[in-house]
Amino acid sequence: MSDSLVPLVLSLADDELVLGHRHSEWTGYAPHIEEDVAFSSIAQDEIGHATALYQLVGELTGDDPDHLALGREPDDYRNATICERPNGDWAFTLARHWLYDHADSVRLESLEGSSNQELAALVHKIRREERYHLIHAEAWVKRVAHGPVEGRTKLIDAMAAAWAEIGGIFEEIDGEEKAVYQGELPTPTAELHRTFQERTIAALDELGLPTEIHSRADEQAEFVASSSGDLIAGRESPNGEQTDPLSGRGGRRGKHSGDFDQLWETMTGQYRAHPGARW
Amino acid sequence: MWGALESVPDPEIPAVSVIDMGMISSIAVEGPHVTVTVLPTFTGCPAIPVIKTDVAQAVAAVEGVVEVTVKISFDPPWSTERITTSGRAKLKEFGIAPPTGSGPVLISSIGLPKVVVCPFCSSSNTHNENAFGPTPCRALYYCDDCRNPFEQFKPV
Repeated sequence: MSDSLVPLVLSLADDELVLGHRHSEWTGYAPHIEEDVAFSSIAQDEIGHATALYQLVGELTGDDPDHLALGREPDDYRNATICERPNGDWAFTLARHWLYDHADSVRLESLEGSSNQELAALVHKIRREERYHLIHAEAWVKRVAHGPVEGRTKLIDAMAAAWAEIGGIFEEIDGEEKAVYQGELPTPTAELHRTFQERTIAALDELGLPTEIHSRADEQAEFVASSSGDLIAGRESPNGEQTDPLSGRGGRRGKHSGDFDQLWETMTGQYRAHPGARW
Repeated sequence: MWGALESVPDPEIPAVSVIDMGMISSIAVEGPHVTVTVLPTFTGCPAIPVIKTDVAQAVAAVEGVVEVTVKISFDPPWSTERITTSGRAKLKEFGIAPPTGSGPVLISSIGLPKVVVCPFCSSSNTHNENAFGPTPCRALYYCDDCRNPFEQFKPV
């Protein structure tokens, strides 16, 4: 058993589960019926990827995959903060979707070459499905970026808010040095982050969206994204909760925002209320 | 053994069997013990537990088989290229356009998958309505000739 593989796979699984949960919240509420279908389907994909990844962790640790998904305490989850943020408005939903799927694509490209054969094979399979998510995100961001000024302005603000926290996806993982040394994680997270930034800044530039705010937001730790997706200064979100002003970092160490507690209550409620239930 | 699996349908598309879909990777027989390796079409396919049970039952019914193990594997990854010619014909007959090519193909600046042939009237005058559909493996299209909405099995 490799002790560096577990935190790596858990971070992937927790990102997919938590963002999949957020996507599923659009079921029945999306602004267009086709988007209701799309976000529900993407949610199902992401939660399915999480399931397969939890099974892989379970094979390494002997844990029950359902318990890993729904039976842990909040600070045992390793998802990045950006994944737990509420959907906010449509602009924030799209901005996060676009940034997350680009980030996911960068790390999956690398993990397809993992020295762990089982992870490499699973990632290969997952990538074939994730392509559709990126196509979906690109289509929407392009449509809104080239559309009327109101939507475009909202998208620009949302992109800045999501950008402020997206770096948390590439926060160092527990045991990363060993995972890189053993080839389980072929590229260090810091290098993946740089590839992600280069790629997305070029894409934003091509879309005619501002790019300078991103490098600024990335450096200014005092700027945090609020629940509504607005970029605000300070250490408090509008509802007075203390948030981690670390540019979206902390998730890989189990440090989550108040938004996660609310999500965790809902997501795990059924599992906790009926231990061992089968259906 | 393979014959027995021809009768196991895809729970979500009962017109095709797990053999038509190319989901059976291998069958290993060691005396009375049989191990079947199944490749799920989509990682998050909710039908996986049903398929496991159905495959195990069908193989257990074969004479001489005492014990069946069904393994789920992503190696090699299932892809739509594994669907057999007869599987493609059955999908079309069922009203689902078979997959085209080997992965999502960009057709326009907004990146929707390629236009496909309508399974009802065979027209190519169709357009994509949604890259997603009622199950993870299907996309939604509309036929501009016979004016029917239809689904396509998504190329992956």
